[in-house]
Amino acid sequence: MSETTAGRPIRVVVTKVGLDGHDRGVKVIAQALRDAGMEVVYAGLRRTPEEIARIVLEEDADVLGLSILSGAVVPLTRRTREALDAQGLEDVLLVVGGIVPVESRTELDKLGVKGIFGPGSSLAEIIGYIRDNVPKERAL
Amino acid sequence: MNKPERIFQTYDGWLERHRDELQQGWRKSFETSSGIPVKPLYTPRDLEAQGWSYERDAGYPGDVPWTRGFIPGGYRKQLWEIEMYAGFGSAEDANKRYRYLLSQGSTGGVSIALDLPTQIGFDSDHPMARDEIGQIGVALTSLADVEVMFDGIPLEKIGHIFTTANCIGPVAFAWLLALYEKRGTKTGECIVQIQNDPIKEYIARGTQFLPIEASVKLATDAVQYCSTEAPEWLPISISGSHMKQSGGTCVQEAAFTICNGIAYIEACLKKGMKIDDFGHTVELHFCTEMDFFEEVAKYRSVRKVWTRLVRERFGGITERAQHFRLHAATSGRPLTAQQPLNNVARITLQALAQILGGCEQTRTASFDEALGIPTQEAARTSIRTNQIIAYETGIPYTVDPLGGSYYVESLTKEFERQIEATIRQVDEMGGALAAVRKGFFQKALAQGAYREQCAVERGDQVIVGVNRFQGDEPRPVPVFKIDPTVAERQFAKLKAVREKRDAAKVQATLARLRQDCASGANVMPAVLECVKAYVTIGEIGQVWREVFGEYVPETIRL
Repeated sequence: MSETTAGRPIRVVVTKVGLDGHDRGVKVIAQALRDAGMEVVYAGLRRTPEEIARIVLEEDADVLGLSILSGAVVPLTRRTREALDAQGLEDVLLVVGGIVPVESRTELDKLGVKGIFGPGSSLAEIIGYIRDNVPKERAL
Repeated sequence: MNKPERIFQTYDGWLERHRDELQQGWRKSFETSSGIPVKPLYTPRDLEAQGWSYERDAGYPGDVPWTRGFIPGGYRKQLWEIEMYAGFGSAEDANKRYRYLLSQGSTGGVSIALDLPTQIGFDSDHPMARDEIGQIGVALTSLADVEVMFDGIPLEKIGHIFTTANCIGPVAFAWLLALYEKRGTKTGECIVQIQNDPIKEYIARGTQFLPIEASVKLATDAVQYCSTEAPEWLPISISGSHMKQSGGTCVQEAAFTICNGIAYIEACLKKGMKIDDFGHTVELHFCTEMDFFEEVAKYRSVRKVWTRLVRERFGGITERAQHFRLHAATSGRPLTAQQPLNNVARITLQALAQILGGCEQTRTASFDEALGIPTQEAARTSIRTNQIIAYETGIPYTVDPLGGSYYVESLTKEFERQIEATIRQVDEMGGALAAVRKGFFQKALAQGAYREQCAVERGDQVIVGVNRFQGDEPRPVPVFKIDPTVAERQFAKLKAVREKRDAAKVQATLARLRQDCASGANVMPAVLECVKAYVTIGEIGQVWREVFGEYVPETIRL
């Protein structure tokens, strides 16, 4: 099921952070999540962590998907997590996709980011991860 | 008694006799990557049904419509140029790699990949830049970096300089014009080619930072300036490869590129330029992926379609105006991180397809590109791949050896038909810029990418080593690492440039740039003055942002 316990579809914001403009992957994910019954907003290119947190807040999203292919994955994810937390969005599930080197995975793990999907990940895997890990009781 | 064997069979008879067997196959259906159904066999009847005529549709190499190539002697006279796209770290780091590639037989000049901050008009010390300096290309902030990047490289001997400056096209031109002036090199001694194609950035590549109209204005200002100040240079390379890599089919790649080309030509004509004066300086750039015959057909048909368009739509009378530069690059996208040595085979096939497509200027990727910036060994292997095709196979000995193949000629003709149909569709929308604003191209590409991902996950599309034939863990290949000191080195150099330059000159040239941007004048003279005063890319980009406004990312609700 692609619903939260609040009885509405899971809301996902997916976006690009940093300067990297490769958005093939993020657009594929957006369409797959939509077809899995989620409400999806693609917030576009080159968003700052602060802008992203604002969009997540405005959209009342349960999940944030970041797409990063340029190699700056750890600092950008850290800053985005901090921006979310600063908005009181500690419970938003953060998922990262793109090029994630092995050593960066450990770093992301320390930040509490467990949903990391590199090349070769399947759409079913990503959808399953979100369904299993989306916060069940979001403060509405 | 047995009947005597018939020597001459008919196609219908052949079909009839083998009907059952022809219906079997290891795939449910056979079609090209663009979805064109592929028959089990092609014969003269297919060409007849398409109204194909040898003289009109194929013709002779060196003669309009150039289906069989631009050069009468093909690769007999001169082999294709082997271009190696490269760049990372600082100007010093990139300089070493360029010297290495030139020493190994790279005949396509120096081909420069820029880092993202540079491409987006930010200095290395901009807050948005700090994690991206020198990561996917070389970091250039001012003419000082450009001087270092070409240190010890004899411009008059390398033939050609290329770079993927798009939304900063005029700055890249100005850097090289200033470098040539300092070195006393004449523009004709080494051909500069700037990609300078912002439209596809908004569709697929993503380095846009100004409103699209402003970007087209800046790009065509550079085209106009070059037509008189550096007439040998190639001021625009209208590119399809990024659109294909974002999910476009081969047909879409060709058609969307030509649509964007129409928009640039129209913008140039509005500036008062004449097609017969600049048509020959236009380049169309595509990438070659894995559907071998489709790629060959694409290159053959594009020559034909663009030539007709220049003649019929834009009234280009001279053969020179109809003759453009066709550039092909193997694609990094089909290369896999899994079992990376398999990519040598992929690159070889892609390189062969673009060679058989009759491209004189070709670029080749390296087998480790799914893992990072190519190592020297991987880059050298790509040069060698080209040299093996050139010197060991006999492939270059005759012109367009696939010409006359019933299948390739039929596919070429079908490509021509489908490309022209897409151009009409975009014309009806009001042209390429209107289509971008509507999201037409973007949507088509995103849908294509999603379709392909689903096909791969279902197993309908096989990627060896990824969804089939995974096998054991691959032998690890060395992955290139960028020197982690690059950011600090950039900051120090930038500080030194800012301290050393004449501050009053910087202010004066920036003021003129602002004025010219606001008045609608051609920005090139002002950008050139700025660059010579060591004004940085970030400072120029800032003026553009202030005068023209900033690109606003779109939010799409699915």
